[in-house]
Amino acid sequence: MAQPDPAPSADAIHLNAISKRYGRTLALDAVSFNVRDQELFALLGPNGAGKTTLLHILCTILRPDSGTALIDGIDVAKNPLEARQRLGIVFQEPSLDDRLTVRENLELHGLVYGVPRKLRRQRIEEMLALVELSDWASKPVRALSSGMKRRLEIARALIHDSRILLLDEPTVGLDAQTRDRIWAYLRRLRAERDITVLVTTHYIEEVEDCDRVCIIDSGKVLALDTPEALKRAHGQSLVRLTPTAEADLEAITARYQDRLTARKGNELTLVSDDAFITAFLAEFGTRITALKVEVPSLETVFLTLTGRELRDRAAGAREQTLAFGKRGGEHTR
Amino acid sequence: MNGGAMHWRRRLMVQLGGLYGLWLREVMRAFRDTGQLIGGVSRPILWVLILGIGLNPYFRGEVYGAVTFVVPFTYLQFIFPAVIALNIMFTSVQSAVSVIWDREFGFLREVLVSPLSRTTVLLAKVLGGTTVALLHGCLVLVLARFADIPITWADLPKALGLMALLAFALTSLGVVIANRIRSFQGFGIFSNAVILPLYFTSSSIFPLDPALSRAQTRVVYPDWLVTLVEWNPLTYAVDALRGALIHYNQFDPLLGIGIIVTACVVLFSVALIDFYRT
Ligand SMILES: Nc1ncnc2c1ncn2[C@@H]1O[C@H](COP(=O)(O)OP(=O)(O)OP(=O)(O)O)[C@@H](O)[C@H]1O
Ligand SMILES: [Mg+2]
Repeated sequence: MAQPDPAPSADAIHLNAISKRYGRTLALDAVSFNVRDQELFALLGPNGAGKTTLLHILCTILRPDSGTALIDGIDVAKNPLEARQRLGIVFQEPSLDDRLTVRENLELHGLVYGVPRKLRRQRIEEMLALVELSDWASKPVRALSSGMKRRLEIARALIHDSRILLLDEPTVGLDAQTRDRIWAYLRRLRAERDITVLVTTHYIEEVEDCDRVCIIDSGKVLALDTPEALKRAHGQSLVRLTPTAEADLEAITARYQDRLTARKGNELTLVSDDAFITAFLAEFGTRITALKVEVPSLETVFLTLTGRELRDRAAGAREQTLAFGKRGGEHTR
Repeated sequence: MNGGAMHWRRRLMVQLGGLYGLWLREVMRAFRDTGQLIGGVSRPILWVLILGIGLNPYFRGEVYGAVTFVVPFTYLQFIFPAVIALNIMFTSVQSAVSVIWDREFGFLREVLVSPLSRTTVLLAKVLGGTTVALLHGCLVLVLARFADIPITWADLPKALGLMALLAFALTSLGVVIANRIRSFQGFGIFSNAVILPLYFTSSSIFPLDPALSRAQTRVVYPDWLVTLVEWNPLTYAVDALRGALIHYNQFDPLLGIGIIVTACVVLFSVALIDFYRT
C-alpha cells in the first residue's frame, strides 16, 4: 500500500515567523518566506545577517525560539527525522571525515541515509563524475584541496534522494574558476533531478541567475523577488565620475549633495537617471576626466536597501577551521 | 495498517544501517591510527613481559623469611587480567576522545542532520570504541602462555563477555568526560587524571591479602589505601576477570558482573542525556 502523501503543498520550504535570539543578539526577527518546489532560491546577506542560523533551524541543529518551519510540508520541530531524510546539506564549515577516503565518505553517507546498496554504488559513481572527482575516489580526504573538499561535500549531499538541497556559502574562499564550476554543477543538477535548491551567499554576482532572491540583513527579510523585479523596484543607476581638479570636485559635491552615495579618493558616485545625466553634462561636462554609467544591479539594490555595500569578509569560520586542522591535530587525532 | 508497519520497519532499517556505517567508521579510523595500534601492542608487552616477569620472583609468600600469606598464583598470573583491563581502558578512552574531534572538525554536524536518532549515533560511537578496545584486550590475551595461563574453551567466552562489558562501560565513561571538556587538552589529561589513578587503585598490580579478614587487611595496609581500593569499581571488574582467567576471586564474582553492568547502563544513560541536551 502506498504511503499517504504529506499535506499537499506547492512549497518545498515554508517559514512562518521564525525568531531566534542568542543572548542579546536577535539573529532572526520573525522571518517568513516560502521556497517553491524546484526553485533555485538565493539567500543574500552580509556577515552576521542570520543566514547560517536560518539554515541550522531548517536542518534541526538549532531550535527556533518561536515560529514554524516546514520541509515538504513536514514540521521540522515535530518530525525531525522525516524532515532530515529529505534534506541534502552543505554546511558553511567543512564536515568531512578526512581520515577516510573520498569514496568511504560517500559510502558512509549512503549507509547513514539508508540508501540501498545497489543505488548507493550507482549514485556514488554518478556524483563523483558530476563534481569531477572520479580520479580521486580512493584518495584520503585530507589530500584534497579545499575546493575539491567543497565539491565532495556537494556530491555527498546528493547521494540520497534529497529533495531539497541547502548550501551555506558553497563558494566562499574558492577561486573564481572553482566557483563557476560549482554553479555549473548546480545548474546541471537541476536539469537532471527534481530538486529545490536554497543557497546562501554574499557574492552578489552569483545570484543573478537564481529564480528568486531573498535579501536579509540583521535577521530581517528586506526584499524577496526575482532578480529583475528587485532591480526594477529598488535598483538605481549610478554614475561614477572623476572631476578634473579639486575645485571641480568641490563644486560637484556641493551641487549634488543629495545624490552623492560614495566618494573614493577623487572618484564620486552619484545616483543617476536620464534627466540627471543630460543636466549634469550640460553643467559639468567640461570639468570631468571620466564618467561611467552603471545600470541597476543587485549591488545597487543591496546598497539602497541596507545603506551598505556587501564586502568580502576576512578569514571566515571555514578557513579558520581549515587552518586549525593544518596547524595541529593531524597526527594527534 | 500494513503501510504503517512497513513504515516502521523501514525506519528501523535506516537506524540499523546507520548504526553499522558509523560503527564501521570508528573501527576503520582506529585501524588507521598507528599511534593507537603501537600503544595497544607495546603496553601489554611492557607490563606482562618486562614488569611481570621482572617482579615475578619477588612475589612470594615470604617477607624476610616470615610467611605472611600464600597465594595460589604467580605475580605474572595475578597482574595478567589487570593488564587486559588496562589495555581496554586506554583504548576505550582514546576512542571516546574522538567525540571531541568530531565536534571540532564538523563531522558531528553531518551526523546530526542525518535521519539517525541521537541514540543511534551515540550507540554506534560507543560500540565502535568497545569493538576496538575488545580487540586490544585480545592482544593481551595472546600473551597468555607467557604468563602461564592456560585458557580453556570454557573460560574464553566468559572472559570475552566481561571484557566487552568493561570496554562498553569505559568507552561510555570516556564519552561522558569528553563531553564535559570544551577545549581539547590532549589525551594526556585523560591518561593522567582518569586511567592511571583508576588502574593503580584497583588492586590490579598488588593484591590485598586474600587470606586476611577485612579488619586484618586494614591493619596490614594503610586505611586510606584499602578504602580507595574498595571504592574503586574497577577493582570488582578486574576481580571478575581474574575469576574467569585464573579462577581466583577476592569478591563474589556476581558482584563484579553486577557492577560492570550497572556502570554500562548508568554511564551510557548519562552520555545519552548529555548528547540530547547539547
Ligand atoms: N552560537 C552563537 N552564539 C552567539 N551568537 C551567535 C551564535 N551564532 C551566531 N550568532 C550571532 O547571530 C547573528 C547571525 O549569525 P549567522 O551565523 O546566522 O550569520 P550569517 O549570515 O551566516 O553570517 P556569515 O555570512 O558570516 O556566515 C550574528 O550576529 C552572530 O554574531
Ligand atoms: Mg553563515
